[in-house]
Amino acid sequence: MSSKDLGEAIDKVLSDESDVREATSTHQNDFPYERDAEAQVTRREFCNFLAITSTALFVASGGFGTKAIYDSQFIETFPPMSIDDAASLKPGESLNFRYPTENDTAILVRSKQGEYFAYGQKCTHLSCPVYFAKDLQRIECPCHEAGFDMKTGDVLYGPPPRPLDKIALEVKENGEVWAVGREAGGEENA
Amino acid sequence: MRKNYENPRPRATPKGRSAVLQAKLALLVMINLAQLWILSATVEAALAKHYGKLTPLIIASGVCWLISITIVLWWKPTISKRQTIGK
Repeated sequence: MSSKDLGEAIDKVLSDESDVREATSTHQNDFPYERDAEAQVTRREFCNFLAITSTALFVASGGFGTKAIYDSQFIETFPPMSIDDAASLKPGESLNFRYPTENDTAILVRSKQGEYFAYGQKCTHLSCPVYFAKDLQRIECPCHEAGFDMKTGDVLYGPPPRPLDKIALEVKENGEVWAVGREAGGEENA
Repeated sequence: MRKNYENPRPRATPKGRSAVLQAKLALLVMINLAQLWILSATVEAALAKHYGKLTPLIIASGVCWLISITIVLWWKPTISKRQTIGK
C-alpha cells in the first residue's frame, strides 16, 4: 500500500464513525450516548466549574487586596510643581496640566470668586477624562453623563462611586499656583 | 479498603440526587455572584485607598470560597433505605 492510500485509509477511519459504531455495537445498549451528547455539560461538571470560579474569585480578591495593603506601607511623595499659566487663568475657566508625573493628567479650575481647585482628570467610574463645563460651573464626564462639584470634587449625579482625586494647591505671593500633593477621592457615595 | 460487595452502600434515589444537585447548583451560583460583588468592592476600596475595608472583604471572599468547596466536596445526597427484592 502506497503512502497516499494509507493516508486516505486513515482519513476515512477518522472521519467515518460507522466502523466505530459497528465495533462497539454490543455496548450501545449500556452506553447509549452519541458523540454530540458527550460534549454537553452536566450539572455535576457545571458545579465543579463554579467551584473553580469561586477559587479564582477568592484568589483575585485576596491578591488584589494584599497588594494594595502592601503598597500602602510606602508613603507616596509628591514633589511641589509650578503649574504653568495658572496665574493668568481667568475666573470661571480651567486648564489641564500633569501632576505628579507626565502620565497623570489633572484639571485646574478657577471659580468665579477667584479660588483655585485641582483634581485628577480621570473619572472615578471608568477613568474617562473629565472636563470643566463653563456654563454650568461644574466638572462633567462625557462618557456616562456624570457631574462633579467644582469646589469639592464630590459626585453630583451619575454612576461614579467616589469623588475625584484631589490635588493640593498652594498659591504663592507672586500669584504662581503650585501643586503640592495628591490624594484619592474621599468616602464612597453608597 | 476492601469493598463489601455483599452489602453495597445504599444509594439515594435518582430523584433525590437530582434535587441535591439542583440545590448545590443554585447555592454555588449565588455564592459566585456574591464573590463577584466582593471582588468589585475590593478593587473599588483599593483604588479609593480605603485600606481598612480590604481585610474584611478578603475574609468574606474566603468564607464564600470555603462554603462553595464544602458544598462541592462534602454535600452528598442522604442515603435512602435500601430496598430488597425476594428476601
